[in-house]
Amino acid sequence: MEYFFIGIAILFLSGIISDFFKNKISVLSGLAIISAILTIIPSVNVLLTSESLIYSYNFNQLFGAVNFVIDPLSAFFIVVIAIMSLVSLIYSKGYLKPYIEKGKNIKAHIVFLPILMASMMAVVTCQNALMFLICWEIMSLSSFFLVIFEHEKKEVRRAAIKYLVFMHLSVLFIMVAFALLSLKSGSFDFTSFMSAMHGDKHFTNTIFLLLFVGFGMKAGFVPFHNWLPDAHPAAPSHVSAMMSGIMIKTGIYGILRLLSLVDVPSKSICFAVLIISVVSALYGLLYAITQHDVKRFLAYSSIENIGIIGISISVGMIGLSYGNDIVALLGFVGALLHILNHSIFKQLLFLAAGAVYNKTHTRHVELLGGLIKSMPKTATGFLIGAIAICGLPPFNGFVSEFIIYFGMFKALSIHHFVSVIMILFAISSLALVGTMAVLCFSKAFSIIFLGAPRSEQAKNVNSDVDNSMLIPMGFLAVLALSIGLFPQFMFKFALNPVSVFINVDYSTVVEPLHILQLISLFALGFVVVLSLMILLKMKLTKGRIELHETWGCGYNQPNNHMQYTASSYASPFLSMLKPLFKKVFDIEKPRRLFPRSAHFSLKVEDIEEAYIINPILKYDEMFLSKFESMQSGNIQSYIKYGLIFLVVVVIGSLL
Amino acid sequence: MIKLINLIILLFVPFLMAGVIKKTKSFWGGRKGPSILQPWYDFVKLVKKDFVISKTTSGVFRIAPLVQITSVIFAALFIPLAAGSALINVQAGLIIFAYTLSLGKFMSLISAMDTGSSFEGMGASREACFTSIVEPAFFMVIASVMALTGNYTFDSLKNILASAGSYGILIIVFAVVVLFLMILIEGSRVPVDDPATHLELTMIHEVMILDNSGSDLALFTWANGIKMLLIASLISYMVLPQNLCVGLSIAYYLLIMFALSVIIGTVESCMARIRMSHVFEFIFIMSSLALVVLSLVVARMFGG
Repeated sequence: MEYFFIGIAILFLSGIISDFFKNKISVLSGLAIISAILTIIPSVNVLLTSESLIYSYNFNQLFGAVNFVIDPLSAFFIVVIAIMSLVSLIYSKGYLKPYIEKGKNIKAHIVFLPILMASMMAVVTCQNALMFLICWEIMSLSSFFLVIFEHEKKEVRRAAIKYLVFMHLSVLFIMVAFALLSLKSGSFDFTSFMSAMHGDKHFTNTIFLLLFVGFGMKAGFVPFHNWLPDAHPAAPSHVSAMMSGIMIKTGIYGILRLLSLVDVPSKSICFAVLIISVVSALYGLLYAITQHDVKRFLAYSSIENIGIIGISISVGMIGLSYGNDIVALLGFVGALLHILNHSIFKQLLFLAAGAVYNKTHTRHVELLGGLIKSMPKTATGFLIGAIAICGLPPFNGFVSEFIIYFGMFKALSIHHFVSVIMILFAISSLALVGTMAVLCFSKAFSIIFLGAPRSEQAKNVNSDVDNSMLIPMGFLAVLALSIGLFPQFMFKFALNPVSVFINVDYSTVVEPLHILQLISLFALGFVVVLSLMILLKMKLTKGRIELHETWGCGYNQPNNHMQYTASSYASPFLSMLKPLFKKVFDIEKPRRLFPRSAHFSLKVEDIEEAYIINPILKYDEMFLSKFESMQSGNIQSYIKYGLIFLVVVVIGSLL
Repeated sequence: MIKLINLIILLFVPFLMAGVIKKTKSFWGGRKGPSILQPWYDFVKLVKKDFVISKTTSGVFRIAPLVQITSVIFAALFIPLAAGSALINVQAGLIIFAYTLSLGKFMSLISAMDTGSSFEGMGASREACFTSIVEPAFFMVIASVMALTGNYTFDSLKNILASAGSYGILIIVFAVVVLFLMILIEGSRVPVDDPATHLELTMIHEVMILDNSGSDLALFTWANGIKMLLIASLISYMVLPQNLCVGLSIAYYLLIMFALSVIIGTVESCMARIRMSHVFEFIFIMSSLALVVLSLVVARMFGG
């Protein structure tokens, strides 16, 4: 445990330490590697032995005794956070290079980067409500400062402030829930919360709802997702990778930690979570298909994956509440594995998107194309990430989705009317999610990397990015493939954390483990056969290939603008679901005989933002603008307000 | 032995099915038609040919046919063919089957986009869109049957009658119709798609492989045939009488394949291709029938 604290301390200071050196980011990466090792050692130990490490420190008057605990669940998250943040940190060196060359001040950025990493690890170890809130706040604020990196752009400032507001709404819900809990239990310790919720079903449900809204806002469940698609494109790529890959998972951690404190979740809550998760998954993907900004669409796809994790958690909860051990086990293992897998392939995709941005300076997919020829390694990385995120074998996404499906099939044996119907619909919704993901990512990959370049920016790319950016991507790609090829080890790895929720009985594990071994053989066989066939084809077809123009049905002067675009690729699917969007057209039709200018653009707005959030903001602004006159800029009047406030407080406390 | 026979069936019956479909269509058209073995001859001819490949394409275009055929054949390991169980009879094999097929589909979609041709992009976007509606319906049917029989392998398909009695016949009828529609959609047959025309604007699957030539084209056509055979095998599994000897069950299986091909050919002869904007409605027939299967199963499980 001491190692862990040393690691955290190094991280907190590393930003300032590295400021003294010339090669700041290299020093920072070095320090981060040391502290990652220091934090991973005790965590892996906990995962292997499943004995929790506890460290208690007495803060006296401030918070009383605070427990820091690394139990298997925290250990799992610490390992994921440490490794994945490290990847982003190393990548940032290459990504920030053009900014440094332009003379941008990155001091604040490299101070907050390791602090975000440290605070996330602190969040998952705190077992005290107050300390938890403090770490949570450090996490939110440090990520806010990272998002606002390019603060000279107006949309970045707007997105960052929106993010800040949402995070504080989320904290509000969490604070209320914690206050209620500590009022009832008389302590801020999580273990005492457990007894406070024991037996009182009504109270537990209220707490669950409050915390689900609070943590769900961080995680990005629909309808609390609105900050996500704005904040991710605004942030630099390694920060969006960190936020989407890891930080939003702390929201999931909060929900899981809460579940470990509740003994049996009530059935209605289980189904409510299931429905919200299914809606999140579908909603996220639907909007991901409509988006033409690479990072914005990746952000929406994060919402989808949070939905999948949520489906898995609710399957686990259904298992708990019906007392079916294997369903609970598969549900929670599936959720944990999907957390790990999502952090791998989503980071990979964000890093690849960042590499593309680095070379082309645009995130608009309709301006890209043909990059596979100039950036083959980045393209391979993105392709692996895309296949993995669709949940296709032989990559890691398939493993967790398979376990989730398997858990749902097992849940069909629960002979209860609502449960059977819900699970059947959840199975077909997950199938719909899978096929929509194929549509979405085949679109993204092919528009960005395939075909002919659609603009000058894309045409002018002549080389792939630096090694400092390629190596992290390569590492993630290898990780994605190896988990896909050997899922049984990952399954065992995720078993101990699950023991926080249920007693893992090793007889229930045999069956899924057996199937996973089979999948492993299957995937290996697939890869071997495929590579043999590719080799064979290369040998047989040598010299038998003739290059020619693409068949244009007789038309042989095709140009880049005649290619299919992202909007047209998505259009048949979207035309089916018209009512779910708000489309904003911007059209200037060609006029007269010799049209001078014409353009067409289509933007799809989030239905929630257009019909709920914007009206609220409008009324809010109308109401608050009445108080504008108070802000006179006159110091005397501000002192007057302060005085009035103090008087009110004093009188209030006397009454 | 039975596995070897199954392998032969898997690899060669698709050609025969395509031949029978063509023959049926010529019969209804009052023509003599090509030999039943014609698709096989076409395959051999294509394999021998050299390639013409677009300059715009990249490596994706070249490996996509291989991924497609490998994924289809690997997916076939989970499907029970002529007699007995599948080669790999595993719980939730449905998932591995469907997702392995999806991998092939993903690659064929991006390989179509790789050419930079707007025709192929059009085909790819339609194919992606239609599959996304077909697959959930397929999952819904199979998962409902699994819930009914309490068996999570593909074996549950033959236990419908055993666990639901004569009521099961109703479920089987609807499930068979759903799967038959799925053959038409996934196998790119009339009324969704037309494998015979080469008018690019109206097609889905055919237009995606417009730029493929030589053995690439052969592999794509073959993979498509195998995919049809796999779904047809699921149908045969539901209607095949139980406890037959191996020889007889293989004969039955081939008979069912023949009958399905004749039906597909007949459907193609007496229906026109639907207008593209109405294809959705056709596919939603499949989804609604899947819902019917689901409600029948739930009614059986909880309605007594």
